[in-house]
Amino acid sequence: MLTLGIDLGSRKVKLAALRDWQLLWLRDFDTIPFYKRYGGMHEGRLTIDFAALELFSGGEQPSAMVVTGYGRNTINLEGARVIPEIQAHVLGARFQTGCDTFTLIDLGGQDTKVARVEGGILQDFLMNDKCAASSGRYLENMAQVLDISLDELARYADNPVSLDATCGIFGESELIGKIVEGHPLPHLCAGINATLVKRVLPMLRRFPQDMLLVTGGVARNQAFCRMLEQATGARLLVPEHPQHNGAIGCARHAAAGA
Amino acid sequence: MVGFTTTIPLEILIAAGRPPADLNNLFITDPDPQGLIEEAEIAGFPRNICGWIKGLYGTVLRHGIGEVIAVTEGDCSNTQALMEVLCLQGVKTIPFAYPYDRSRETLALEIRKLSDHFGVSAAQVAEARAQLERVRAKVHEIDRLTWDENRVSGEDNHLFQVCTSDMKGDPAAFEREIDEFLRAAQTRAPFSESLRLAYIGVPPIITNLYPSLEEMGARVVFNETQRQFSMPYATADLVEQYRRYTYPYDVFSRLDDIEEQIALRRVDGVIHYVQSFCFRQIEDLIVRKRLKVPILTLEGDRPGPLDARSRIRIEGFLEMLKARKPC
Repeated sequence: MLTLGIDLGSRKVKLAALRDWQLLWLRDFDTIPFYKRYGGMHEGRLTIDFAALELFSGGEQPSAMVVTGYGRNTINLEGARVIPEIQAHVLGARFQTGCDTFTLIDLGGQDTKVARVEGGILQDFLMNDKCAASSGRYLENMAQVLDISLDELARYADNPVSLDATCGIFGESELIGKIVEGHPLPHLCAGINATLVKRVLPMLRRFPQDMLLVTGGVARNQAFCRMLEQATGARLLVPEHPQHNGAIGCARHAAAGA
Repeated sequence: MVGFTTTIPLEILIAAGRPPADLNNLFITDPDPQGLIEEAEIAGFPRNICGWIKGLYGTVLRHGIGEVIAVTEGDCSNTQALMEVLCLQGVKTIPFAYPYDRSRETLALEIRKLSDHFGVSAAQVAEARAQLERVRAKVHEIDRLTWDENRVSGEDNHLFQVCTSDMKGDPAAFEREIDEFLRAAQTRAPFSESLRLAYIGVPPIITNLYPSLEEMGARVVFNETQRQFSMPYATADLVEQYRRYTYPYDVFSRLDDIEEQIALRRVDGVIHYVQSFCFRQIEDLIVRKRLKVPILTLEGDRPGPLDARSRIRIEGFLEMLKARKPC
């Protein structure tokens, strides 16, 4: 049995396919080019041209498809079920790790979610509001200011410079000020990663700190994960495919319902 | 027309024969509430100030309201600066303060000052109170029909209660509207949604929140602040009435009322609405510590329909409530 999960994120569209409950493949696209290339308006609703995506060889079709993320209410995907994001992420985290009791932190392009799951049941959750200064997009901006890659940024956790601007855009000029002061690149990078930890800690503090699962693109930032582990004292686990966690959750949901 | 920035002892204006106008209601029902905010920003109000304050400023100017009662204590302290800016524009402003300590003497003095300003006697105010009590009792019945018989939508519950702050400027006409609504509602088929919600905090700046929730299978059966505007408690006199009224005082008295109503109305989850840049956002941490039911904190900034980000939060919350609910 073949199932497909789609997570329509603010920065990336992620896809996951499962065959007989085993991960078959993962794919992702930048959101805007994805909509430009594969999206179209049909009777006032956005439609995705799945044939053009060439997801499956030999004309094979998934027996079930589940979608989540931004725009899932307006996108007309024939035969697709839509589920809330938080549900997709919890399902993905359980599928990937086998854990049933944990606190999940998902750091995406613009959204940060923290969810508490006990015995497999979602107990409570929080999301950032009206400000995306604690998201992946912030890291992208700052890496761009430093003219380095996200992978390079993710290497440094020691001797962080202090960055205090509330606004992610003002943070850029603050960072430029620190460059001018002569701080070395590793310390600047560590400062950026530390800012993210400071921003998410108040959200995390409301939940038990026993087992912390980190997902979303930001989970690939090792320095952030290390600093978060130190700050919380929690056992921290990053699933194998953190960025595709929501899409995997959708595919898993599709498999259960197919 | 006399404008006011939040609920004040309405009885005084009715006794004085002055048409009351809750500026919040005028602002949010304006065809272009965004434009009113922009007007305030052009005048120099900062971007990181509550949308309601800016909306009220725009409303006073747009409607040419010459006299405004400004509640400077017990609501938003930004009102103080709003009052000063309005003064600059030549608007006559009358300060009114709810004492934080609920002092009967201080509140009685505030009410007396307001009565003196409008030149009304205690007897005239008592007469107006009797008239308003009759209208309020009918709105209480709408509220009961909402949670007890499930015949009223969250939005109608919100609208009728929120309008009790100024009785839409004309208590007699509002009463007729209520009578008509009650006649229709009493015989309606009850709603059969799967989730019952409480809405707490200031009324929403989001224009389609209630119908959106109902589309998602959840109905608001308790509107905390709006119900307070309708003066839900039986009290001996006017001063006691505005002492029992919870909204302008401490969060703990509000929470006593909220807890009681959550139990009575069999609520599955709470939406705590907070306004961007409002001091009440801080109180969210107390609300979360105290209430034992799941809470979604929903933040609103400017008037308009529910945005995609808030929708995602609500959907996740409702899904969680469904999973937790015993079948």
